[in-house]
Amino acid sequence: MISLVIIIFICLIGFPLINVKYYLLLSIVIMVASFLPFVVRFSKQQITSRELVMLAILGAIAAVSRVPFASIPSVQPTTFVIIVAAIVLGPQSGFVIGVTAAIVSNLFLGQGPWTPWQMYAWGMIGLFAGIMRNTWVMRSKVGKCTFGFVVGFLFGWFMNLWIVVGVIQEINWKTIILYNSTSFYFDLAHALSNVFFLLLFSKTWIKILERFKQKYGLFE
Amino acid sequence: MIRGFRSIHPFVLFVYYVYIITSLMLYQHPFFLLTALCLVVYVHVLLDRGEQLKRWIWMLVLMSIFIFILTPFFNRRGNHVLFYLFDNPVMLEAVIQGVMIALTLMCILAVFITFNIVMTSDKFLFIVSKWFPKWGMLIMLSMRFVPLLRKRLQDIEQVQQVKGVSLRQGTVRQRAKNGMLLMQILLTFSLEESIQSGDSMTARGYGLQKRSKYHPYEMTHRDWALGFVMTVFFGIILYGWWLEDGVLALLPALEPIWLSGREWFFYAIWFMFIGIPIFVEGREVLKWKYYQQKM
Amino acid sequence: MEILSTENVTFRYPGSPQYVLEDINFSIHKGDFAILCGPSGSGKSTLLRMFKQELLPHGECSGSFFYKGNSLQDMDRLTVAKEIGMVFQDPDNQIVMEHVMDELLFGMENMGYPTDVMRRKVAEMVHFFGLQDLLETRTDELSGGQKQLINLASVLLLDPNILLLDEPTAQLDPIAAKEFIHLLKRLNDEFGITILIVEHRLEELFSLANRVILLDKGRLVFDTSPRDAVSHMYTSMRHFLPSAALVYLDHSEERRQEKIPLSVREAKKWVVNANLSFVQKKEKLLPEQEPFVELRKIDYQYSKHSEPVLKNLSFSVNRGEWMSLVGANGTGKTTVLKLIGGLLKPQHGYIKYSGRKVKQIDQEEIGYLPQNPKTFFLHDTLFDEYRQIAKANQKNVEAIDSLVRKFQLRELLTRHPYDLSGGEMQKAALVGILLGEPSLLLVDEPTKGMDPDFKAEFGELMQELVNEGLTVIMVTHDIEFAAHYSTRCSMIFRGDITVSEQTQSFFRENTYYTTAINRITREGSGLSPVTLEEAMLLLQKNGI
Repeated sequence: MISLVIIIFICLIGFPLINVKYYLLLSIVIMVASFLPFVVRFSKQQITSRELVMLAILGAIAAVSRVPFASIPSVQPTTFVIIVAAIVLGPQSGFVIGVTAAIVSNLFLGQGPWTPWQMYAWGMIGLFAGIMRNTWVMRSKVGKCTFGFVVGFLFGWFMNLWIVVGVIQEINWKTIILYNSTSFYFDLAHALSNVFFLLLFSKTWIKILERFKQKYGLFE
Repeated sequence: MIRGFRSIHPFVLFVYYVYIITSLMLYQHPFFLLTALCLVVYVHVLLDRGEQLKRWIWMLVLMSIFIFILTPFFNRRGNHVLFYLFDNPVMLEAVIQGVMIALTLMCILAVFITFNIVMTSDKFLFIVSKWFPKWGMLIMLSMRFVPLLRKRLQDIEQVQQVKGVSLRQGTVRQRAKNGMLLMQILLTFSLEESIQSGDSMTARGYGLQKRSKYHPYEMTHRDWALGFVMTVFFGIILYGWWLEDGVLALLPALEPIWLSGREWFFYAIWFMFIGIPIFVEGREVLKWKYYQQKM
Repeated sequence: MEILSTENVTFRYPGSPQYVLEDINFSIHKGDFAILCGPSGSGKSTLLRMFKQELLPHGECSGSFFYKGNSLQDMDRLTVAKEIGMVFQDPDNQIVMEHVMDELLFGMENMGYPTDVMRRKVAEMVHFFGLQDLLETRTDELSGGQKQLINLASVLLLDPNILLLDEPTAQLDPIAAKEFIHLLKRLNDEFGITILIVEHRLEELFSLANRVILLDKGRLVFDTSPRDAVSHMYTSMRHFLPSAALVYLDHSEERRQEKIPLSVREAKKWVVNANLSFVQKKEKLLPEQEPFVELRKIDYQYSKHSEPVLKNLSFSVNRGEWMSLVGANGTGKTTVLKLIGGLLKPQHGYIKYSGRKVKQIDQEEIGYLPQNPKTFFLHDTLFDEYRQIAKANQKNVEAIDSLVRKFQLRELLTRHPYDLSGGEMQKAALVGILLGEPSLLLVDEPTKGMDPDFKAEFGELMQELVNEGLTVIMVTHDIEFAAHYSTRCSMIFRGDITVSEQTQSFFRENTYYTTAINRITREGSGLSPVTLEEAMLLLQKNGI
């Protein structure tokens, strides 16, 4: 209900803005409007200390998961951790873990203009993985891997947007494609590593998380 | 004792950074941007003698050069052809735009590096906790766990290496697989341990009522004044942008780069606005010198 | 005045026929310092948690709990959180904030205190604990003892009337543990804070507490004074008692309850007054053997600019030996272990293995039993784990079978490793290591957090392995354990081995760093004993 109001609201403000070509402002409005409801929802959610700690641990694991892969360039399972956690804990928690992972890893590595974009991207990956957790996409191995592959590219493209929108401020397909092509190999590595991790580990990780959730009766 | 720009109340600092990043995105004029870059570099020198900037400088320069070279490729509009590259015209306008984009990028990144120096994680989390207490708590918990998890991961790595699960040997595939096995142990291990963390929070009364927040920072007169001044400056800068005085028009006709008339006024405001950290730091130095003389 | 009491408390987990607690009745009075003890699985931790209703595990619970005469179930939860403070076992897991200051504030913020009140209380606490220099420190940089101190301080800031402590010193080294226990005594003496502590490490506690409550298999066995408790526990729970009491009960002819010594001081008084003299039964003599692992002139530093951890260290271990590496925190004990295990590379010096100079000992020859066995397991069940290890080492199922039988793990094979108790987990990890048939076993602080009964069992098991030809190098803080089992002890100091001697002579030569029994008996004539089992009363023929 609230999100519907927000979408209408965006359209009302958004279309005039496109005409004037204030892309930056428009993208900020859209991002904030689609982001804030979930942020607020978590703030109001009733949650026990143990559940809160579990979210924090998963966020921290997603952030720390880069460490053992330092020797393999552009392979890091952060996205994998977020997807798997979202499948077990649902969209809202998936969103929260994604956002937390982004903030925490940036607090350690240094904030940049990319921080909000990363928060948004990983938050949304968690959200959508959670929304689809009961559909065939997340149930089947093929579906999961496809999701991981697509999301790997989308993440990279979305992260390119901060330069295109924030710095270059020239939005046309040519620019966007040019930028996305420069980062093609990084995005491919991300997408393929997502597939690799999901293929080999999603089953075990989901089992571990499920077992833990049930053992202590969390998120019921 | 923390002095100078770092000692300003986190709220004021945060607002200042929002203002300055917005301004840098809006003003597209080589003259303005170059000034901003010089001032920000000087801020770096004042804050930590440029230590942090040095660590990032290569990434900064490389990204800017990359953008500068790339810009003329997607921008073919303009009236002045400089030369032809592989039968494609390279426009003067595009080159100028490339310079501006590169400068914007450098400025924004350099400003963010000062942000990381000035806005330490506790200040950042103070702001988050103030607006979104539960998010603040979650992030603080997560921040506390990161070093703990790293230590555990190191232990796990060593134990498993003796068992034959190595990160140093084998194909990329094997190493990635082993890395993930270590993460898997870390996950199971840490989830199990986290129950105690949750219990220790509950035992100390977490979640029973609305929490209060310890305020280590106080809004002083200086903070209020600074907040007011920067907001006025920012307002004027927005107005200047509306008038298109801070933006170099490339099309339909290239505007002369040199400033003229009203633009000088906005330039002065711009200079003072970006220079606020320098002013705050400088004031501290002067005060200190004066105090020492009196002794 | 009764501050905490229970009435017919019974508890069991859902679906389990066995009661964890059965018909428990006891009460704690204001100002008491009470020990709640019992073997693993006696339900003591569960009982302690029941006073914090929020932490109650899921299950069937009947009976009532009272705090100051009011039923705990009906009380305001905020008051309970404030007035009943709780400290848990693991120092790391309890800390939830990145900086010490925030950790101290955490509880008070939950209570909704305003800033000026918090500031004042923290200032007070900093004075009491001497925390000035730690306030701005990050919590992960603290030592285990400091962490536990912060946990205690954070609870005390809420002004509790009673402190519940669940094995608070199990993960600390002996010195930090002693400091912590004495701090509790100070809180009890100076502020009248009531203390109820669950603990295995009773060596110090008996002389400080005024009550001992023993649980066994969910039932309350007794609730009495420490001296009375000692005489009750002497036959059935010997491992739990302090050496001072044991040496008296073993050798005194009168065995008068009110005379049982609880501390070294009291025991020494008894020895001197009765004019007794103890000697070592017989000296264990080790045949001189050729060295198995030798470290020569090893230098090691973690990074270019840090202080070297090991300086020109030379060290050798013979085949079939159980070597204990002892020394204070941060002297490089664990570093030596990791160098031998090939986890670190020395910057200078070399390692000889079976008389041959090698770059690194073949990792298949080495087993490494970590401090925390949770880092060892990769699979869902013990059986899976063993099968994978066996496969990697080309072993068949029989090999698993014989080891599992030897270690009595058969019933646990289908369980998840993390569902085992701490001791079982340690054993399970040891089986996993032995499947690889190592000839050298490296052990890091094996007795941390073990209950005394299990410690003895573990010691015997290891002893058996050593007798069968395994060489063991063990890093430990546990003097009594090292004295009891190891054949030789080496002390590290400032990056080098200062002494390396046969266990008995090692402890006998030391004055401060030695076992309680040796401290009690050292003034006698002849060679003073190092362990209780080897102590023999010298008959005084020429009586005075």
